[in-house]
Amino acid sequence: MLLCNVGGSVYGIEDICTHDGGPLDQGDLTGTRIMCPRHGAYFDVTTGAALTPPAVMPVGTFQVTVEGDDIFVA
Amino acid sequence: MATQLNAPQQLVEDYRHGFHDSEAGYNFKSDKGLNREIVERISEMKNEPPWMREFRLKALETFRSKPMPDWGDTERLNEINFDDIRYFVKASEGTERSWDDVPDDIKRTFDRLGIPEAERKFLSGVSAQYESEVVYHSVREDLARDGVIFCDMDTALRDHPEIVEKYLATVIPVADNKFAALNSAVWSGGSFVYVPPGVEVKSPLQAYFRINTENMGQFERTLIIADKGSKVHYIEGCTAPQFSTASLHSAVVELIAMEGATIRYTTIQNWYRNIFNLVTKRAVAHKNATVEWVDGNIGSRLTMKYPAIYLMGEGARGEILSMAFAGEGQHQDAGAKMIHAAPNTTSVVTNKSVSAHGGKTTYRGLVEIFPGAVGAKTRVKCDALIMDEKSSSDTKPTMKINEQRSTVEHEASVSKIGEEQLFYAMSRGLSEADATAMIVNGFFDFFVKELPMEYAVELNRLVKLEMEGAVG
Repeated sequence: MLLCNVGGSVYGIEDICTHDGGPLDQGDLTGTRIMCPRHGAYFDVTTGAALTPPAVMPVGTFQVTVEGDDIFVA
Repeated sequence: MATQLNAPQQLVEDYRHGFHDSEAGYNFKSDKGLNREIVERISEMKNEPPWMREFRLKALETFRSKPMPDWGDTERLNEINFDDIRYFVKASEGTERSWDDVPDDIKRTFDRLGIPEAERKFLSGVSAQYESEVVYHSVREDLARDGVIFCDMDTALRDHPEIVEKYLATVIPVADNKFAALNSAVWSGGSFVYVPPGVEVKSPLQAYFRINTENMGQFERTLIIADKGSKVHYIEGCTAPQFSTASLHSAVVELIAMEGATIRYTTIQNWYRNIFNLVTKRAVAHKNATVEWVDGNIGSRLTMKYPAIYLMGEGARGEILSMAFAGEGQHQDAGAKMIHAAPNTTSVVTNKSVSAHGGKTTYRGLVEIFPGAVGAKTRVKCDALIMDEKSSSDTKPTMKINEQRSTVEHEASVSKIGEEQLFYAMSRGLSEADATAMIVNGFFDFFVKELPMEYAVELNRLVKLEMEGAVG
């Protein structure tokens, strides 16, 4: 899984692009959008939604809570 | 038999637009090769906003980091020497408003292609691309009154930056593939169309493209947006003069059909045999929208082109009609991609190809039906005609079906031109060339009848004239 820090809020999504299995953790995070480095598809890290082709299906999301220095993933 | 085999080959060899104009008078020609300075210079010369400069520079990094494709005709692909290409040539100062203002040598080239006549007859707008930049452009006034925007991409970026920034690269991301990244870094020209909600553009919009400088890459970028319930037909024709060393053409075309909208995109590409034509074309069709690609490929050394339609909304419909002709030393690697991502989406793919005199055609296609696309229907039909024993054809269809409640049909055939067919036609008084032309024209008939009259006549005439010229 992949944790993204967006302006202090932490979101958890699956790390595998639904298009071709690219590693999302290697991609650029701009605001709430993360780009798969393999073919450039964007996902919304808050909802997991695929925003642009070539990805069509969303990535899974995880419930994340932050307590002090610890991050808990449900 | 031997004489007849020469006929289709002649279609490419004696290509009648194989002339080129003097290159004197160019305003700017970049050095060969690609680096950060050239990309910055392109952006600077075009007075682009900072975000576009950054877009280009980032794309350059992506282009460098991406490997060449490891599939398809890799032997030919690796013939491309990226350091031996000019990435930007500017042929004229700015975009001209009236035909009278277009420089004479450029005008001569377009006169030979018949653009002004076409415009007078029935076209609603002509946007003619010469080299890397559009030099002439006009839009009928009533279109403009309806709020339809039809201009070159450079003008769109200047006059409608908010629309361009919102939609550019949302269908084909920069990192989609190496050539999309290259185009994003050095793009110049191409067409921009925006049709407001509910507006139906009754006559087709048209643009011509030409390459006229040795080793010049042409990287046009086209973006067409049909807003809710609107309708538009865009036509693009390409021809290129003869050159001895390879040129690269790498376009990116993005279509967006919003809810209930219809886009038909017709293109005929007739490249000379030394050109690498590596194009990314993709459309997104939202709810109840329709997208149709009508795609003709003649000439080039290697064409790799797979128009795609992403059927993203319920009830969206996609259709791809394509034809390809490969002569000596040519490889037409073309196909279609249909992505069904919503219920009740439908698609049809029809592909026909002819290979002759050692030419090779490949149909490479993908149909993908995602879980939940209940009621999706698709039909794929590809036929290949092989004219002689030296020529070949491959069919490589891929189907990924992940929804049980969908309907998929696939049909493929490969045939040779029949001696009996020829004999029969000739026994009725046709010459060998006429008979061959008739059979080839008949094979392509499904495609030709979808073209506007002017294009249909031109394509039929091209096949027929060249075949007549091949005999005796």
